[in-house]
Amino acid sequence: MKRYLGERFASWARQRQGADALPVSVHHRRIYILPTRAGWSFALLLFGMFIAALNYSNSIALFLTFWLGGFALVVMHRCHRNLLGVRITGATTAATFAGGTGTLDLTLENPAALIRYGIEADLPGAAAVARDLDACGAAGMTLAVPTKARGLMRIDKLRLTTALPFGLMRAWTWVYLPLEMIVYPRARGALPLPATGGATLGGELRGAAEGDEWLGLRSFRDGDSPRQVAWKAYARGAPLLVKEYESRSAAQRHFDFERLANLDTERRLEQLTQWVVEAEHRGERYALALPTLNIAADRGARHQERCLAALALYGLAPPRSAEAQRA
Amino acid sequence: MLKRAPFAPVLWSTAAFVGGALLHIDRIALWATAVLLVCAAWQLYAARRRLPIPSRPVRVALTFILVAAVLALFHTLNGLAAGTVLLVVMGAIKLLETQNRRDCYIVIGAALFLLLAACLDRQALARAPLYVAETVLCCSALAVAAYGGAGLPARVAASLAMRTLLLALPVALVLFLFFPRLPGGFWALPASDAAVTGLSDSMSPGSISELTSSYEPVFRARFAGAAPPPQERYWRGPVLHNFDGYTWRHTSGEAYRAQPLHYLGQPYRYSITLAPEANRWWFGLDIVSGSPDKHVAFSYDYTLIASEPVTQPTTYDALSYTHTESVAPLSPFARNKETALPPARNPRTQELAARLRAHTKTDEAYLRAVVELFRSGGFEYSLTPPKLNADSVDDFLFRTRTGFCGHFASAFVALLRAGGVPARVVTGYQGGEWNPIGGYFVVRQSDAHAWAEIWVDGHGWQRIDPTGIVAPERLRRGILDLLPDALSARTRLLHATAWLTYLLQGWDALNTAWNARIVNFDVNSQLKILERLGLPSADWTALVAALGSGLIAWFVWIGWHIGRTAAPRPHDRLARSYARLCAKFARAGIARDAAEGPLDYAQRIAARRPDLALRSQALLARYAQLRFGRTTSKSAPMAIAAFERSVRLCRVARRV
Repeated sequence: MKRYLGERFASWARQRQGADALPVSVHHRRIYILPTRAGWSFALLLFGMFIAALNYSNSIALFLTFWLGGFALVVMHRCHRNLLGVRITGATTAATFAGGTGTLDLTLENPAALIRYGIEADLPGAAAVARDLDACGAAGMTLAVPTKARGLMRIDKLRLTTALPFGLMRAWTWVYLPLEMIVYPRARGALPLPATGGATLGGELRGAAEGDEWLGLRSFRDGDSPRQVAWKAYARGAPLLVKEYESRSAAQRHFDFERLANLDTERRLEQLTQWVVEAEHRGERYALALPTLNIAADRGARHQERCLAALALYGLAPPRSAEAQRA
Repeated sequence: MLKRAPFAPVLWSTAAFVGGALLHIDRIALWATAVLLVCAAWQLYAARRRLPIPSRPVRVALTFILVAAVLALFHTLNGLAAGTVLLVVMGAIKLLETQNRRDCYIVIGAALFLLLAACLDRQALARAPLYVAETVLCCSALAVAAYGGAGLPARVAASLAMRTLLLALPVALVLFLFFPRLPGGFWALPASDAAVTGLSDSMSPGSISELTSSYEPVFRARFAGAAPPPQERYWRGPVLHNFDGYTWRHTSGEAYRAQPLHYLGQPYRYSITLAPEANRWWFGLDIVSGSPDKHVAFSYDYTLIASEPVTQPTTYDALSYTHTESVAPLSPFARNKETALPPARNPRTQELAARLRAHTKTDEAYLRAVVELFRSGGFEYSLTPPKLNADSVDDFLFRTRTGFCGHFASAFVALLRAGGVPARVVTGYQGGEWNPIGGYFVVRQSDAHAWAEIWVDGHGWQRIDPTGIVAPERLRRGILDLLPDALSARTRLLHATAWLTYLLQGWDALNTAWNARIVNFDVNSQLKILERLGLPSADWTALVAALGSGLIAWFVWIGWHIGRTAAPRPHDRLARSYARLCAKFARAGIARDAAEGPLDYAQRIAARRPDLALRSQALLARYAQLRFGRTTSKSAPMAIAAFERSVRLCRVARRV
């Protein structure tokens, strides 16, 4: 019942507020506030005190009751203020394998000159994370998002909550950011890696495997493996450089969806995922062929990500570019 | 084994509860406080060491034992005193099992209830700071418990609580001033078990001198016009009619009808604030013209007797006359009653009366003879007279001849009665200390006095003070001047220095104002406030309107205040001041470009508005120096403060 009401309320709030885009600033029209359980108990306590004070016609006790009542009202405003004006300046998801825990990295910013205590962020189905925000400061929060099935996981709402200071009131706001997280298929399958094959792709400038011909140094780019970095040069004070080799004898594997005919689609995707992870781990080059997409042989974190994303989204419409998920 | 809560919330909620219990330390049984302190100490030790909480059977057994102890002590769990002790011991047990946030909240709630009980119990001004401190402590504990985890630093929690309570003060005041009060309670209150002090309804030799060592105030009287001269300041209390040879007693009920009175001389209008002393007597100046309250009976001997003991400071207005006359004759029944003496007691007094009566024809002559006897009989006024035997009047008149007001009044009335003159003993207070700061008289237990009233045909009951015959200075000066040993050494010391006396009087005046304005604040005070606000003949609807508008005003203010502090602004004071300065120039039409530095900006201002050149260059160069120049860290805050001040004082005219 409570959950149902909560869902109805959130969808009503969604209709009221519309979708959000970064940066989100929590203004007063989207903050909702209710007493906590402790707050209701406090109200009951105040009522008891009020009756006692009235019955004894005791001014001092009555004043105490009124003072604490006023205190509760200020607490309400302070709790509301604790959330008011907080800005979400960053929200990034990190992909994971199905069944694993993905992450949502939030950056919260506090533009006001007051400390905000205990700002909690949570998602439906994920544990809340709490943080204090320094005056005019910012803080990052990492939320663990449990996943079940592969595909594009939409995080359609996010909640910022605070019960502080004093824990008598709880203020919250729903944030509707277009957040998506790619969930890769589970990496599992019993089949061994397909045999290496294919000709050397002359001219491809990559690093690592044994027996390759030394080509030279180039500057570091995102996605380069740390193993290729010229650490000795770096230690001497040079910028980060990557050793490049011309790959001649590197093993190259071809992972083909169609060749796994004896498995159903999901099993095939899981097997392919398993191979991609393993090949990447070995530092080998690999190509991926799906009925809808062919990815040429390569290696490196970016290549792996691209392959895994293709596997994750296979057969799911509409496929999205990798940029969209970084919104 | 149950998991322990973090230490800080446990510490704070325990402190709040112990603080609440300590407010009652002199009212509850010592063992209850001891149990609480032991439990609190154990709890803190266990929470620090992360020891397991005591097992359930232990807690249940403890609960039974302690509740049984409270029951044995009070025979009830109801009422303020028993309820407080019960709350303290139950809280002590709750402390033992405090382990999560919810437990902490419960303990803090119990602490607030203890605070409420303390407020219901005592309302003295001196206790108000304690109550405020306990309120702050409870709210700080709430902040720490809500924060949980490693705990909010103590300074932060206390400042949070204090600032929040400060913001709540206006709304508390509005509610206090305008929330309509009920004329009475919802249900009957259990009787208070406060000790009875002050005058009682009987007087034995020496009973009044016991009171004189007490410096406790009995009531305070504020006169609307001129105050009566010292020798007329007789504050009437219980009138005693029945004598058993040793003790005089008050007759309750209507023994005979009151004599109709003619008031002579000027009336005195005044108000009296009784200190709570659990007695039923209300006091008035000599003869009060009527009862000031419907719950107070005005008896046939002109005393005021309330239906309930006075347990709260009580204020009433009264009108009194110090001279009265009654031409109607005294009824035979009343004459009989007021001349009655125990037949077999005090034989020598009876003999003396018969001898005196034989020489005098009229009552007046007899009275004169008795007065003469007291004046020239070699009587001495003393606070520590020798003890008297069962025939106290005989013993006093013929043996000791040394006594206090009670002895004189007793012997005087007995002697008159023996001679057939109707007479009665009146007890009460005489004099009072003038408090020049508060503008009222304080009448203390040490002013307790007894005098006589005699019946004179054609004139009615007339006051005669035998003490005044023996020691006339007693009536003009306080007991303190006359018998310095009457009071304790401490009180004497306090009165030895003028400034200390002044300080004491100031404190007393403050207390009186507190009691009159705050503790006794009621529906009449509310209507008076409305009257002062320009609403004469206001009723409760006006109160509700005032309450509503006050609340709305507060809500608007608090919303504005809270919203303002949440608005984005630079944290750094220098940046804030710089922004303010730029805003001032912007209002004059020269806004700073986002990429413009302070020195360039100053030049641009100087070019556009030569009249501002000096100011802008000085201030903006100062800013540049503070922001980018080299300053020692020690001088920086002062330099920034000076800059802030200059910016605040800088006036920029919109046009030349």
